[in-house]
Amino acid sequence: MLKWYKEAGNNSDVIISSRVRLARNLKAYPFSAKLSENQAKEMVTKVKDAGLHLQEKEEKKYYSCNVDMLSDTEKTAMMERHIISPLLIAKEQSTGLILSEDEKISIMINEEDHIRIQSIVGGMNMTEAFYLANTADDITSELFDYAFHEKYGYLTSCPTNLGTGLRASYMMFLPALTVAGKVIKLAEELGQYGIALRGTYGEASKSLGSLYQISNQKTLGSTEKEIMDSLNRIVEQVMKQERRQREYILTNGYDEFEDKVYRSYGVLKYAKQLSSGDAMTLLAQLKLGADLALLKFKDNYNIHELMMEIQPANLQCQLDKNIGSVQRDKYRADYIRKKLPDIQ
Amino acid sequence: MLCDKCKKNEAKIYYTEIINGEKKEQHLCEDCAMEYSSFQMGTPFMNQEITLGNLLSTILGNYYKENSHSGEHAEKELHCKGCGMTYSEFLKEGRFGCVKCYDTFKKVLEKSIKSIQGSDTHTGKKPKGFETKTEKLVKELPELDKLAIKLQDAIEKEEFEEAVKIRDRIRELKKEEMNNA
Repeated sequence: MLKWYKEAGNNSDVIISSRVRLARNLKAYPFSAKLSENQAKEMVTKVKDAGLHLQEKEEKKYYSCNVDMLSDTEKTAMMERHIISPLLIAKEQSTGLILSEDEKISIMINEEDHIRIQSIVGGMNMTEAFYLANTADDITSELFDYAFHEKYGYLTSCPTNLGTGLRASYMMFLPALTVAGKVIKLAEELGQYGIALRGTYGEASKSLGSLYQISNQKTLGSTEKEIMDSLNRIVEQVMKQERRQREYILTNGYDEFEDKVYRSYGVLKYAKQLSSGDAMTLLAQLKLGADLALLKFKDNYNIHELMMEIQPANLQCQLDKNIGSVQRDKYRADYIRKKLPDIQ
Repeated sequence: MLCDKCKKNEAKIYYTEIINGEKKEQHLCEDCAMEYSSFQMGTPFMNQEITLGNLLSTILGNYYKENSHSGEHAEKELHCKGCGMTYSEFLKEGRFGCVKCYDTFKKVLEKSIKSIQGSDTHTGKKPKGFETKTEKLVKELPELDKLAIKLQDAIEKEEFEEAVKIRDRIRELKKEEMNNA
């Protein structure tokens, strides 16, 4: 079964993935801030069972686990693959997770809300992402009595998620807008439409491989479809701007850009040490070069998959041991060298 | 003056942040200001949503100050019976303690929720089997009244085929009633 990041999606030159998150709470328990450890434990045990229910109804394999019992490396690796959030890792209470085999659906237990259903699919396909999360929500809601208010909708721990509890987000690859220094201006403009733009792993934008998340901020007063439609309209615009900027690069600095892309390939293919920041920047160059058909791989290859695999915790999970940062940089360079396909 | 963050470059930007009503001023160089004020708010764990929570509590805090004659007095009044959360605790956390908090803090919440969300009424998905108060009331009405409401609704939505069906059903029922009488 293909994991979402191995699938080729629509508009994958600019949109890496589409993600939906639904926040839900059980009526019978206090919200996270007032939940006792015993109640938290009880909740994890109870909700984890929903995994079996989902498996039965959807005829798809689901796994579940107690997140607080995992090692820090395992938790961080899951965060790097966007399965769980940094907040879930930071929680001191009992926390849990239900995960589908293809990693498209994950349900976090005891994050900011009792239940956070998340679905993620490759490319621009919010319709499928919403369908998956919504179906999982329908099935899960057969087991629990959700906190729902006639006027305010789904009640959430923080009033900023009230109503639909829906956060729809696209992970976008915006290298040309980044180079042109237009991303901060873009973030300000999007803010006026209630759309947030932020870095993917919360790190400084420069070393991120030009990956950004664009998502709705308002959750109350519009239907799920209206929220996603308005996000889609804006994302289409961002996509147009990015492509226009890419054309500009091609027409106004082709030679320089071509040189950069091939140099990036050269460094990635022959370097002996690579920090994750350097690797991300170089891989972003390579992805842009491949997207613009400036450079062709002999085999069809998804560079974003490699971007996730070379994150520090994911690398350590592959090795099955913790290593220091110098060793990790060496291993990362080795890993990339082996994985990168030849160019035509 | 040197930058408060890197302590190397000349500080050119005066950055003011207000979180939970507390003002924090920083003198930053251009590079640090770019980093600090755009996507990274100090640590990777401080994501956009958390910032929004802080923003909300700041707005609620201001509203609360405007609307109470005596701060201490009002604070004592606002106390959730469900989970014990106090209003000042909510302002600090930006998060509620339980379902009942929404009723407890309703008065201060209503206006602020509208200014943040742009609306205060949910129109999206409902859990399966959830009935609104109106739906419950309608359910208890006699069949003829129920059909009259449905007819009105169908006409408003311009579902005329459905309206004709309902009208015919109303006629049938009335006839039956007449015959029975």
